[in-house]
Amino acid sequence: MVPFHYLNYLLLLGALLFTVGVIGVIWRRNALLALMSIELMLNAANLTLLTFARAHHDMRGHALAFLVIAVAAAEAAIGLAIVVGVFRNRRSTNLDDLNLMKY
Amino acid sequence: MNATGTMALLSGLAAPAVEVVAGDQISFPLGPRVIFWLLCLLTLGGAIVTITRKNLIGAVMAMVATFFGIAGLYAMLFAHFLAAIQVLVYAGGIMVLFVFVIMVLNREESEPWVVRSPITRALGMGALVYLMVRLGQLLWAAGPKADGPAGYLTFKPEPPPADFGTIAGMGSLFFTDYLFPFEAISILLVIAVIGAVVLARSTVARATSIYDVPEGEIDQRQPQHVAQDQLEGISLHGDQVPAAAAAADDHGGAHGGGAHGGGH
Repeated sequence: MVPFHYLNYLLLLGALLFTVGVIGVIWRRNALLALMSIELMLNAANLTLLTFARAHHDMRGHALAFLVIAVAAAEAAIGLAIVVGVFRNRRSTNLDDLNLMKY
Repeated sequence: MNATGTMALLSGLAAPAVEVVAGDQISFPLGPRVIFWLLCLLTLGGAIVTITRKNLIGAVMAMVATFFGIAGLYAMLFAHFLAAIQVLVYAGGIMVLFVFVIMVLNREESEPWVVRSPITRALGMGALVYLMVRLGQLLWAAGPKADGPAGYLTFKPEPPPADFGTIAGMGSLFFTDYLFPFEAISILLVIAVIGAVVLARSTVARATSIYDVPEGEIDQRQPQHVAQDQLEGISLHGDQVPAAAAAADDHGGAHGGGAHGGGH
């Protein structure tokens, strides 16, 4: 139902969402916000997949997007468990405090 | 403002969005166009608000708005099943999980934003602008173009068939060509659940467990015998007047024996 010549704008939106996600991962120090920005990047990729699926009338883009959603859910759960574990040991969610492997 | 005018306006907003290609003109009804731009604004605005929030719950709420915008865009792309899954899994599952964890780790950030020297910031911003421009250029060139003949002909501008984006279509893909990824995703989700439980498990050793009772001690507890004089003041009927209780004291022996017998 998107006008066909608007699909370019959807691809552009996907690119912008991905960049916003990258900014969020680099710029913010909180581990939870970094995880949220990773989810944003995954959603941008999903949007691009579905746009091309609409353009080619191919449902394999939908299948891959579905798998990406499932993997993102699993990764968010594990990432949050890791954040909880790190917080228990170091009492901080600041990514700058995780510097044990620094030179 | 008659009824027919309102109904015409509403049906224009909800019109089946069919493009009318007449020559070079592509006309599209106004309603879906407005909704498309509103959804794009919601999505991008929600994303930018998410990464600029100091309050984590505010960031989660903005993220939920972003996901709803994306789900709306999926529905406009004929991906109805994935729009529902997006709302259910992302907005309804993953974000709720984030809210739980934020409630557990209730810490304010001292310095939420990374601050570097001006040169590094300028370089970083330049790199990000370059990323945005380049990614946008690449994806724009790969997308359908209204005026370029080659790009326009490779993609299919007409609406897809009726079973596109439905659960049946997805199922017919997942159980034939993509059966292995489907089963592998199931195993991955089980591993993720077990991993999350193991990682977030409490590491404090339990104090006692009902299975830790040593041998021979289970039935060694004796019932406590209350002394006779402690039973004298106990009245089994709580609303007795003191006069009646005083009268009952004369029969203290009989009552005490009865209460004692009832104590076993």
